Amino acid sequence: MTFFRPFFRRLGGMAITLIAMSILIFLLVELMPGDAAQRVLGQSATPQAVAALRESMGLNDPVWVRYGRWATGMLRGDLGTSLYMRGVPIASIFWRKVGNSLVLALLALLFYVPLSIVFGILAGVKAGKIIDSIISFFGLATMALPEFVSGIILMTIFAVKLAWFPITSVIPIGESIWSNLNILVLPALSITLVMFGYVSRMQRASMISVMNSDYIRSAILKGLPMRKVIFKHALKNALLPTITIIGMNMGWLFGGLIVVETLFGFPGLGSLTMSAVKTQDTPLIEVCVLFITAVFVVSTAITDLLYGFLNPRIRYPGGS
Amino acid sequence: MTNKPILDIHNLNVVYETPSGPIVAIRDLALELNANEALGIIGESGCGKSTLSYAILDYLPSNARRSGSIMFNGEDLLLKTEKEMQNYRGDRIAMVYQNPYSALNPSLTIGEQLDEVTRIHRGFSRTQARKESIQSLQDLSLGEAEGIVRRYPHQVSGGIQQRICIAMALLCQPDIMILDEPTTALDVTTEASILDIIGELKERHRMSLIYISHDIGIVNKISDRIAVMYRGEIVELGPQEELFNHPKHPYTRALINCMPRAGVKKETTRLNTIPGYVTRRSADERGCPFASRCEKKNAVCEEKYGLREIESGHLAACDRAYATDVPDKSTFAPLIPKANARPGADQTDNASSGIEPGIGPAPLLELHEVYKYYKNRKRTVRALDGINAKIEKHDVLGLVGESGCGKSTMGHLVAGLLEPTKGNIHFDGKDISLTWKHRSRDTIRDIQLVFQNPGRSLNPSFSVEQILDRPIKKMLKIRSRRERRAVMINLLKKVDLGEEYLSRPSTRLSGGEKQRIAVARAFVTSPRLIVCDEPTSALDVSVQASVLNLLGELQEQSHTSYLFISHDLNVVNYISDHILVMYLGRVCEYGLRDEVVNPPYHPYTEALLSAAPDVNPSHKQKPIRLEGAPPDPSAQIVGCPFAGRCHKKIDGLCDTTPPPLKRLSETHYIFCHLSEDRLRGVAHL
Amino acid sequence: MQRIWYMAKRYPLIFPALIIILFWFFIATFGPSLMPFSYTAMDMDHQMTAPGVGEHLMGTDSLGRDIWSRIVYGSRSILTIALLTSLFSSLAGVILGFTAGYFGGRIDALFLRVMDIMMAIPPLVLSMVVLGVLGNSNILTLTLIVSIAYTPATARVARGTLLSCKNIEYVDAARLRGESHLYIMFREILPNTMGPIIVEITARFAYSIMMVASLGFLGVGLQPPTPDWGMMVIENKTIIKAAPWAVLYPSLAIASLVIAVSVFSDFLSKVVIRDQ
Repeated sequence: MTFFRPFFRRLGGMAITLIAMSILIFLLVELMPGDAAQRVLGQSATPQAVAALRESMGLNDPVWVRYGRWATGMLRGDLGTSLYMRGVPIASIFWRKVGNSLVLALLALLFYVPLSIVFGILAGVKAGKIIDSIISFFGLATMALPEFVSGIILMTIFAVKLAWFPITSVIPIGESIWSNLNILVLPALSITLVMFGYVSRMQRASMISVMNSDYIRSAILKGLPMRKVIFKHALKNALLPTITIIGMNMGWLFGGLIVVETLFGFPGLGSLTMSAVKTQDTPLIEVCVLFITAVFVVSTAITDLLYGFLNPRIRYPGGS
Repeated sequence: MTNKPILDIHNLNVVYETPSGPIVAIRDLALELNANEALGIIGESGCGKSTLSYAILDYLPSNARRSGSIMFNGEDLLLKTEKEMQNYRGDRIAMVYQNPYSALNPSLTIGEQLDEVTRIHRGFSRTQARKESIQSLQDLSLGEAEGIVRRYPHQVSGGIQQRICIAMALLCQPDIMILDEPTTALDVTTEASILDIIGELKERHRMSLIYISHDIGIVNKISDRIAVMYRGEIVELGPQEELFNHPKHPYTRALINCMPRAGVKKETTRLNTIPGYVTRRSADERGCPFASRCEKKNAVCEEKYGLREIESGHLAACDRAYATDVPDKSTFAPLIPKANARPGADQTDNASSGIEPGIGPAPLLELHEVYKYYKNRKRTVRALDGINAKIEKHDVLGLVGESGCGKSTMGHLVAGLLEPTKGNIHFDGKDISLTWKHRSRDTIRDIQLVFQNPGRSLNPSFSVEQILDRPIKKMLKIRSRRERRAVMINLLKKVDLGEEYLSRPSTRLSGGEKQRIAVARAFVTSPRLIVCDEPTSALDVSVQASVLNLLGELQEQSHTSYLFISHDLNVVNYISDHILVMYLGRVCEYGLRDEVVNPPYHPYTEALLSAAPDVNPSHKQKPIRLEGAPPDPSAQIVGCPFAGRCHKKIDGLCDTTPPPLKRLSETHYIFCHLSEDRLRGVAHL
Repeated sequence: MQRIWYMAKRYPLIFPALIIILFWFFIATFGPSLMPFSYTAMDMDHQMTAPGVGEHLMGTDSLGRDIWSRIVYGSRSILTIALLTSLFSSLAGVILGFTAGYFGGRIDALFLRVMDIMMAIPPLVLSMVVLGVLGNSNILTLTLIVSIAYTPATARVARGTLLSCKNIEYVDAARLRGESHLYIMFREILPNTMGPIIVEITARFAYSIMMVASLGFLGVGLQPPTPDWGMMVIENKTIIKAAPWAVLYPSLAIASLVIAVSVFSDFLSKVVIRDQ
């Protein structure tokens, strides 16, 4: 199966990227100013207590030994323990928060993917007309806004003025996200606005270039009705670049989550990362950043695979 | 002539609204197309040929306005709505385009793209439509049609793609088929066979053709009548032979005489040229559109005068083609032969050597067993597969072959853009099988390159002065600005351009002017060898003629040698002293020009010659149809590379044993198994 | 020039966009000296007052600080950092991308691999983590880190524009007269890529504003009491119900600036595309 080939080639690249990234993250965080043991115990701790903790945390080993220990732990699924919340295994909170974020991200995807594709196509087909100008400007504006600005605007309208949704998206203790779905709407919409800009503008551009291509001319001059020209001939080609953009932006979306979750106080990966940075919780920062990287790498690989599968020129190479 | 025309265009005007005001693309055009008639439309680029065909089908950009009438079978197409037009497009009027590769949708199978035509226009079911599609592919002698319909366009060759496009156009048996430069992107031998098929189909389906081309030779092969377009008007329209033998309009006459053709050589004739270039037309322009470039212009020409019947069935807007009140300026002006003007040609008469070096006067450049392979992950492409060649001093070697034969690779090796994989290139005795990085300054100065597309070889950010100044400074080491300027002005004079060009940005020049600047740049260092890589194929015929004349004159004055690369045998024939014919990275034939273009010749040369379009309408010989496409250049070929397509192939010999070198004269050799008699003989088809 | 004017008439949004951009640059340059309040002055009589009350044009926050004054002061840092960042990252991007694209082969493969790794982490996450770990951000560290985070993207753009010119014959012509690599890269190729590069710089300017604001919002930007637009939003988020202006006006300041710059960049890209 030839279309698997780019995927296998990707696998190697994925591994290299992840390993390199894990080293980078580890070095960056480990080499940061201040002593981890000191931080755990606070400024008032005795030097003896700090030294003892250093020993028990293995901080006296050379960096590469510590990296090896950490990396093999990761591979076994052992995420380590939090510094800030002393002794709490990271895994016990991490996966639940990741789950929450995934629900949020999926909801956002569900909103923005169909919306931006439909409006992008509409703008592309009506290029130069008034409807195109409106969609294009709206896309440009929402794309430029930081997530927290569009979030604040949404919050002011829908939470403060209309009070349709809560201002904060906190899940009450003991409840799961599924019983609090209304808290997801505003955060998901904030993400949707930013992503809508990107994806719809890309969709519009690729639609325009496809509509100007020679094969669309052929289709029109064959006597096909416009709806067939667009849906059968144009769409298949115009969706390909969009798929890439959506895939590539998955990592980006997780970056956006940090801002949105912080704004709404949503208990997800983003706010977890944020608080890890704030509290200088070394092991937790490492896990969060590595996970975000992995999401990007994996979604890029899936995109590549999907692209190859949908594009006959890659699926059936050869000929001329 | 009595039956009603199938298409009757009256007073057609097409105007584009642009920021700089309206531009007239078609002006007061009138045209009749009869049933089962093939009408050729010729003209330079920008004359409105394609706009006319898109105007008929109502496929114009949104800023275009049409007026007048286009009567098709008694109905005015200009009055039809978009929805009604869908019933004509692809059904009654079908079209075939220039570039078959981009005309087919890359993500639908060939079958899907064919089937939808009959499904939409005939309401066929899936299976019915598929049967019809396969049948129409078979009609175009595409074997294995069942396999082709399941493939995607990129999986078949360019020639087959164009046949698929033609098959698609024929599916509903249209009344009119419009062909817009359908063979321009294809090789000559493929072009010849496609032209053949089109002619056959026209008779079989009793349809009318509109065949658009910039190439008079091609239009000639296929048309009953020919219309000559210039700046949006038809300036002449008449039966094919009549129009060519007795053109009435000065533009038609000039256009015909621009074309290099068999028997026209640089020693004896200079090509006709048309000064200036095609310009845009504003709405308020009056008078003859050609007046500004016409050498037969007189006082009347500034006023408009339309197409009228000059002889029965022969219409023209002007009949001053042979007017005697203004003398002919340049048309095939015979040159006075100069004694010893070109020492190269004289030397080659007694020069003996074939490929063995060391006999006779040393050639300027020698390629010895040169290989060039391009390797990538999957395969090795053998661009040059053991080439031996030489260029004499003060001589023009024409290098001819179809795309992919390695001729450009050879040019780039000589110029130093590439390095041979194996083998040596000697220049004046020195080994120069190196790229520019490692060549000596002298070698760099001695070998220059003129590129195919002057729009790309001149930096668009620079003015003419910047373009010429840098090489003068860099390679001639002239420090004084004033001196460099003097050199530049001198160079411009050489290429017939004035001093005022120095300050112009290169993007503001016409194609012909750009190529002149590129030629001037090549002559900065007074090189001993210039590689001309298809220097005229991006240009219109009238401009091509002037650039060819210029290259010929400069070569004569400076005694520079040329390696002149072209796919066009007529052009090579015009400019060369020797010709080298290549096929798939190997040499087929080498000799003096007249030896190569006359029998005995290599079967491939024979095929190329028979396929080359000829402006002379009485030369309607049947082209030799080559079977199939050239083999994959990455395949290891045991025998003769041409064996697979050769019409004279000896089974069991040609495809297993490499062809031996047959020396036919001191200067002429052919790589072929066939006997000299067979090489001389007419093709047995 | 005539063409730009023609394009501008067909893209009327450019006029308000230019006015907004000029407005903010004016405010950043001269505004602070014209303000009635210092950005740190706490007006204890007017805490969380609505816009217009007590000469507070845009109201005050919970500490009684004048919102408009803080926005005016905050415009300085965000414009400075964003401008420097877009210039630095573009410069670094051009140098890296041109070198990799021009020489190709292994250098290019290595470049692409490193860029792949760098791009695997979103620029915002990278900047946030690094700045958070370093602590105590100032204009210098912010500019530096954000520039580094954006360099892979600009380098890819620069490499792409170079590749689109690299195989054009005027480059071969320059090689064949023995020009140096530097001459070819920067004298022959660079002028022909200026259009897309200028568009990239302006787009990067918009992204940088977005990034700096977001970092401020996340609390890893400039440290209090220096006013920062993003920080103002998070500081006052808790009082959004009582004093929505304290959150809304800084947000609108960010929105107006970043949209105007985006429109400007979009306009430039249209001018450039038609040019080629």
